[in-house]
Amino acid sequence: MEDKILNEKESLELISKMIQNSQQKIKAGNGLTFLVFGYTTLAISLLVYFLLKSTHNDWFNLVWLGIPLIGFILLYLFRKDKPKYTKTYIDRVVRNVWTVIGSAIFLVSFTAGFVRIPVLPVLILLLGIATAITGLVIRFRPVVIGGVLGMYSFVLPFVLFGYEQVLIYGICVFIMMVIPGHILNFKGKNANV
Amino acid sequence: MQMFKELNPLLHSELRLGVMSILISVEEADFLFIKEKTGATSGNISVQLEKLNEAGYLKIEKGFLGKRTRTVCRITPEGTTAFAEYVEALKSYLEIKS
Repeated sequence: MEDKILNEKESLELISKMIQNSQQKIKAGNGLTFLVFGYTTLAISLLVYFLLKSTHNDWFNLVWLGIPLIGFILLYLFRKDKPKYTKTYIDRVVRNVWTVIGSAIFLVSFTAGFVRIPVLPVLILLLGIATAITGLVIRFRPVVIGGVLGMYSFVLPFVLFGYEQVLIYGICVFIMMVIPGHILNFKGKNANV
Repeated sequence: MQMFKELNPLLHSELRLGVMSILISVEEADFLFIKEKTGATSGNISVQLEKLNEAGYLKIEKGFLGKRTRTVCRITPEGTTAFAEYVEALKSYLEIKS
């Protein structure tokens, strides 16, 4: 492309070509955030479950703090050498949805440290809502299905009592985030070929 | 008699129009992304970005990503208006011709 004058038809063709080329397509690595937080949550849930079950010491609930800590460190390390060259409106919508719901998740988790509330079902519901909205915005059905399944599974911890709730929480997050995350990456890899 | 609307000379150039078309469809784009999509040389892109920046059509932010410098461009509301007017003017030309 140079600094040359175009005729009207060429101008219109150029606009349409450039807009088409800049559209966000599903790429390999798109499922990274889901996978990082999904696997981290699953691992921490299993750890908390075994610690609580074997010791009955509620202080081990502090291990949950490992999810944001490990999650954000891993995300930083994975993304360090892969800068993003564009940001689209979709990126902004998805980021803002997760910022708002992430803040709500933090608030609920923090409150649960002082007041007895059914924290795990509320967290599953919030994660399900954010995942379903993300799926709808990026127009990717497996993520929508994962999110909706997650939302509906918020009743499960109510049915089960005791430490098994923690286990169910980990499994719900696995279904809601890890499986759609892998499908997203798989589709992205194939789209790049 | 229908009149031709004047085509904005700042946008009626291949590379500047290409850059504006990219920026109208994304929220922000890195210099390297613009280079890849337009296939133009870095020097030429820099000159054209500066012209669009002077006209207030886009905002250029320079920063660092690790040790590398990073230039990010974003369209301004004035740029969006100018682009919309340019497309309107184009339409008036094409309607008369067809």
